[in-house]
Amino acid sequence: MKFLKKTRRQRAVLPWIIPGAFLLMWVAVSGVDLVPHYLLPSPLKIIQTGHAYICASPGDSPYAGRFLSDAGASLVRVFSGFLFAILCGLPLGVLSGRLAVVHGLLNTFINGLRAVPGITWLPLAMVWFGIGMKTTVFLVALAAFFPIYLNTAAGTRQISARLLQAGAMMGVDRFRGTFGILLPGSMPHIMTGLRLGLGISWAYLVLGELTGVPNGLGAVIMDARMLGRVDMIVVGMILIAIVGRTSDGLLVKFLKTCFKSARRMI
Amino acid sequence: MKDAITRGLLKVEAHPEQPVLEVINLTKRFEVDGTSISVLNDLSFNAGIGEMVCIAGRSGCGKTTLLNILAGFLRPSAGTVLINGEPIRKPGPDRCVVFQEDTLFPWLTVRENIAFGLKRRAKDKRRLNEEVDRFITLVGLGDFHRYLPQEISGGMKQRVAIARVFILQPQVLLMDEPFASLDYYTRREMQNLLVSIWRDLGQTIVFVTHDVDEAITLADRILVMDRSTGRIREELELTLPRPRRAEQTEYVFFRRKLYELL
Repeated sequence: MKFLKKTRRQRAVLPWIIPGAFLLMWVAVSGVDLVPHYLLPSPLKIIQTGHAYICASPGDSPYAGRFLSDAGASLVRVFSGFLFAILCGLPLGVLSGRLAVVHGLLNTFINGLRAVPGITWLPLAMVWFGIGMKTTVFLVALAAFFPIYLNTAAGTRQISARLLQAGAMMGVDRFRGTFGILLPGSMPHIMTGLRLGLGISWAYLVLGELTGVPNGLGAVIMDARMLGRVDMIVVGMILIAIVGRTSDGLLVKFLKTCFKSARRMI
Repeated sequence: MKDAITRGLLKVEAHPEQPVLEVINLTKRFEVDGTSISVLNDLSFNAGIGEMVCIAGRSGCGKTTLLNILAGFLRPSAGTVLINGEPIRKPGPDRCVVFQEDTLFPWLTVRENIAFGLKRRAKDKRRLNEEVDRFITLVGLGDFHRYLPQEISGGMKQRVAIARVFILQPQVLLMDEPFASLDYYTRREMQNLLVSIWRDLGQTIVFVTHDVDEAITLADRILVMDRSTGRIREELELTLPRPRRAEQTEYVFFRRKLYELL
């Protein structure tokens, strides 16, 4: 029993050792002025800036109280792009996974597109869509499409033919076969695709917002760089990490609430 | 034909002389590397209403191919399959299959798996639930109806697989070595269970097996398939009463006969 308790406590402590040590080092380094403050602000400064950014009323200081509107703008962009990616990636993935014709038609083209680094689309996107919402949504949708499409295709391809035959002999038509057998049976793959897609959405959000958009979490970071506010850059990075991680958790929770297959197979 | 729900658990009256399934001059060839291999060759047989027909043969003789054609998963190269005089075109709930491998839906509970086929036709939810309850009890899974397939044993999975097709009251039940991957005792148990359900419901069953004892335990009629010709080599009528025991004279006779033929 004692042994069990000890291991449980160890297990709870384990994930925090490296971040803790990192934080201590940071405090120490900034405490002894080893690195100038304009390059690496102290953790305390970060907390103050973060607090002002999130809680203070707008107008008190350059970034005070902007968090909610920035996060809101970023969330709208991420989710619009992510939604586009799902609407294209999921159906195309299913078709490509099940129909050899569609697979033959799409696979080379899509893998060719995928070989082009997402960032190289930025100049073209800016020419096509201008600066702001549309460019960002385009980049997010493009980047998130690939993992969703590829994982859905892999998932629907690996479904055992016997499972579909079992459905067919019980009188299941094509429609119910797709929604009642194919999609639930591929759920682990689909979920992986969606999570990877959402993760990369945040990365491309920042890329899109770095181009001179007035609001958004990525825009704040770029703005802070121009004003030499390194503390604000770090605050922006931390907040994107938190919001991104939270949205991943919510996505998983959402899928598990809505689908038996996500609840029971993962 | 009336809905399974409204028919309830009524027993189908046996009329072995009246064919429900007719297989006429069935031929199946596969093209492998440019050469044509014929697996089934001009094969014919009938199964009467309420009859238990076993198709016995060594592995590789085309038993599973035959069953896949009867189910509608494969198209024959030549010949026809009739159900009640109508040619079959695609898989359907009039010819349900119990597979050798586990084909339960892993995201559905035992209960949901059994209800799967019937749910589509059922208008009345309460009657659907009653019907599902009856079949859960029939296969002896009362305490396990909320479990997922991954949480139950191989034998229990096959019980679910049997319940989910019997509940649809198909014209013909096709069974492709359903107990082959089970241990000896579970296999015997499942054979007895199948005989008792079959006696209650009276469905026509075509049962494919390579196991001599299984064929003798179950069948009204055993069709022995021949690997070299792709036809039915011999037909054995078994009239000895059930339950059959290995020490009965007829049992021993049929066993010796089958070993010779296979």
